[in-house]
Amino acid sequence: MLNKGWLSTSLASLAILTMLTGCSGGKSGGEGTTTGESSTTGTSGENKGSSDAGKRPATTADGNKIEGNEIKIGLIAAQQGDQASWGIDSVKGAQLAVDEVNAAGGVNGKKIKLIIGDSQSKPEQGKSAAEKLISDGVIGIVGEVASGTTIQIAKSAFPQGIPVVSIGSTRDDVTDVGNNVFRVCYTDSFQGPVMAKFAFEDLKLSNIAIVTDQKLPYSQGLSENFRKYLEKIGGKVVDEQFYNSGDTQFSAQITNLKSKNPDGVFLSGYYTEVGQFVKQMRDAGLKVPVFGGDGWDSSELQKYGGAAITDGNAYFCNHYNNEETRPEVQEFLKKWAAKFNNSIPATTMGALSYDATMLMIDALKRSKGDNSKALIAAIDETEGFKSVAGEITMKGHGGNPPKRALVVSVTATGQAFAKAYDYFAQ
Amino acid sequence: MDYIAATGGFVWPDLPQQIANGILLGAIYSLIALGYTMVYGVLRLINFAHGEVFMLGAYIALFVSWAFGFSPAGLANNPDPKSSVFVLGVMLIASMVGCALIGVLIERFAYRPMRNQPRIASLITAIGISLLIQFGGTFVLPVSPQPNINETVNPFSGTQQITFKPAPAALYALEKTKTAELVQATKEFNAVFEKEKKERKIASKFQLSPEGAAIRDRQANVEKELNDARGKISQQSIGISLPNGQLIMFGTSIGLMLILRQMVMKTRTGRAMRAASHDFDSAQLMGINVNTVVTVTFVIGSALAGAGAMMNATFLSTPLTTFYGVNPGVKAFVAAVLGGIGNIPGAVLGGILMGLSEALVAWAGYGPYKDAVAFVILIVVLLFRPGGLLGSSKVEKV
Repeated sequence: MLNKGWLSTSLASLAILTMLTGCSGGKSGGEGTTTGESSTTGTSGENKGSSDAGKRPATTADGNKIEGNEIKIGLIAAQQGDQASWGIDSVKGAQLAVDEVNAAGGVNGKKIKLIIGDSQSKPEQGKSAAEKLISDGVIGIVGEVASGTTIQIAKSAFPQGIPVVSIGSTRDDVTDVGNNVFRVCYTDSFQGPVMAKFAFEDLKLSNIAIVTDQKLPYSQGLSENFRKYLEKIGGKVVDEQFYNSGDTQFSAQITNLKSKNPDGVFLSGYYTEVGQFVKQMRDAGLKVPVFGGDGWDSSELQKYGGAAITDGNAYFCNHYNNEETRPEVQEFLKKWAAKFNNSIPATTMGALSYDATMLMIDALKRSKGDNSKALIAAIDETEGFKSVAGEITMKGHGGNPPKRALVVSVTATGQAFAKAYDYFAQ
Repeated sequence: MDYIAATGGFVWPDLPQQIANGILLGAIYSLIALGYTMVYGVLRLINFAHGEVFMLGAYIALFVSWAFGFSPAGLANNPDPKSSVFVLGVMLIASMVGCALIGVLIERFAYRPMRNQPRIASLITAIGISLLIQFGGTFVLPVSPQPNINETVNPFSGTQQITFKPAPAALYALEKTKTAELVQATKEFNAVFEKEKKERKIASKFQLSPEGAAIRDRQANVEKELNDARGKISQQSIGISLPNGQLIMFGTSIGLMLILRQMVMKTRTGRAMRAASHDFDSAQLMGINVNTVVTVTFVIGSALAGAGAMMNATFLSTPLTTFYGVNPGVKAFVAAVLGGIGNIPGAVLGGILMGLSEALVAWAGYGPYKDAVAFVILIVVLLFRPGGLLGSSKVEKV
């Protein structure tokens, strides 16, 4: 029986091997603003932001106090690992904000000191970075980008009463951790409806097929949010096809899609598979417009999709765009270029990190006390704060400011502004 | 996921296309599965590092393409270097030779010292080597490097269309008129867009003035009608379209498999391999140099993986990461077990069956379960034929 036993041992080890590599494999560069095991809980299609304002547990601790002549703010960002491109931009954005405020005299005569913690692209490292920053006496924490990491940071900051302002975590339940958690970006239950509205009203498409990555809760939630809103405004979902992260061959799904003759295709996954899917779709002769969520936001998208994805018929939802003419964007880009060697931010996280840091500093100025508790109250009172990625109002929204979202089109060199959407109720 | 059945398939006109998809996909699985099956046949060892040899083969193909002017620096000088069958041939050979070398090195330094140890030791070594290459590789190898060889190096884009039953002629006529209309509408749209870009300083076509927006919408509408006509043609005609690259891949795979079969059945080395596979120790006693046999096995198995990797990267999917071999490796391993591990025709059969089951399950409208179905087939086959479809199910005496 050695033969059989041997085989089952091998199969078992194979399973282990797949598990080991499955969690870290596949993704190479940065990915959408929700990462790893992220799950979208807000599949109900309702805006949790405004409805959940009173439901979040409230922290009772006073947190850290401002002592001496400087105010310490913590920043947690990935300096290593597959999210490093976001982390590096996060640090630059936050540093830009702090230097700007310090050059103008600081807050109430006190200089701000930015202390940086490295999450190494891992939730557990984010947690220990948060613990270290809190023991260093920071008054508040800015970060992180990945939702899974932000949740860990928020959980360790909650009992200590330290505010956390997330840079780019779109997963709906991030702010459910407690009343100390805020974000400066939109949520997943908003970007699905934005793309549905764009496809139906601007591209005038009504029969739309959905393609979902069944391994990614982010993708499943986004597809569901898209479907709900599209059907609500009168569009029709003619087909839904599925694949797994890591797949490279989609001929079967594409053949199925073609037989349903859709006007457009919504792909809710990450750029890694989306790029190849669109390429194979175009090769198979299906040339209809394609669109997706912020999981497409990476310069790697063009590498995966080649010319197929830069044909002007590919759109996705993003936080802001460098080509916008709004003064906030153009001023920000000017400051960025002056400080960082005439460059432009490589990812949207540079601007979102600047926004998050500026929001915290703005709240510090308005704060009625010198501890973290007063800062939390001040952040929660924010109204009409002008940020690079649009106006932010925290008051009454439970940490999820109703934000505008942009639709951008994919070009050979990056992304071009297509249309901006102000917040609307879904 | 209660709506899955509602989006379900059984669209009969698609069946020929899906069968073709399955066979083309299966041929690649077969090619990689051969490496697993040969090593298992001779050494009773599952070479988990085989997927990583595959990954390295794709990288070798990429680096060779750099030598032909496709390197990032070369592309900066000459953005459109010429690719040819010769370039592809050199990439293929280099990838095969490189992989053969890597396979032999892995065998020599990782598996041979373990050969007389309990099998679990070599199994764990195999997993270790696999992880070492995957994660160690990230320090050495570029992640998703330029160029996208799938896009730039592959000179065989396009598809072969075979039509069994064409759509009504009116639809083709409609497609033609709409194509012409689209050219005209696009011209009009571009003119008004350029004009408003200058006059009104707009950045996006969604900011056009009402008159401009009307022209934009007309163009979008013509495009939609054209896509609809195309869609109706593909709905109402029965036929298959085969991407050129995948056809070449299929042909090369079959060719390599035939060469392998001739080698194993007709040559002296092949006979030695079969003897070693039958009974390793007796073969040694009969004067067969089993070390040579093992080396040759790794050379052939790894070279096949290299060929598969080069073609996969060129004709199917890029960019490359050090995890490029994980998915195909797992699928091919299952294919090898399904066909009967240790059995060469079994690996080919298993690969094709895996490809077909994936395509047909998706066709039937149960796409989310395609991998699950492949494993159910595997389990059912192993229940009734523990040695796999073509494998011997004799019980080994311990």
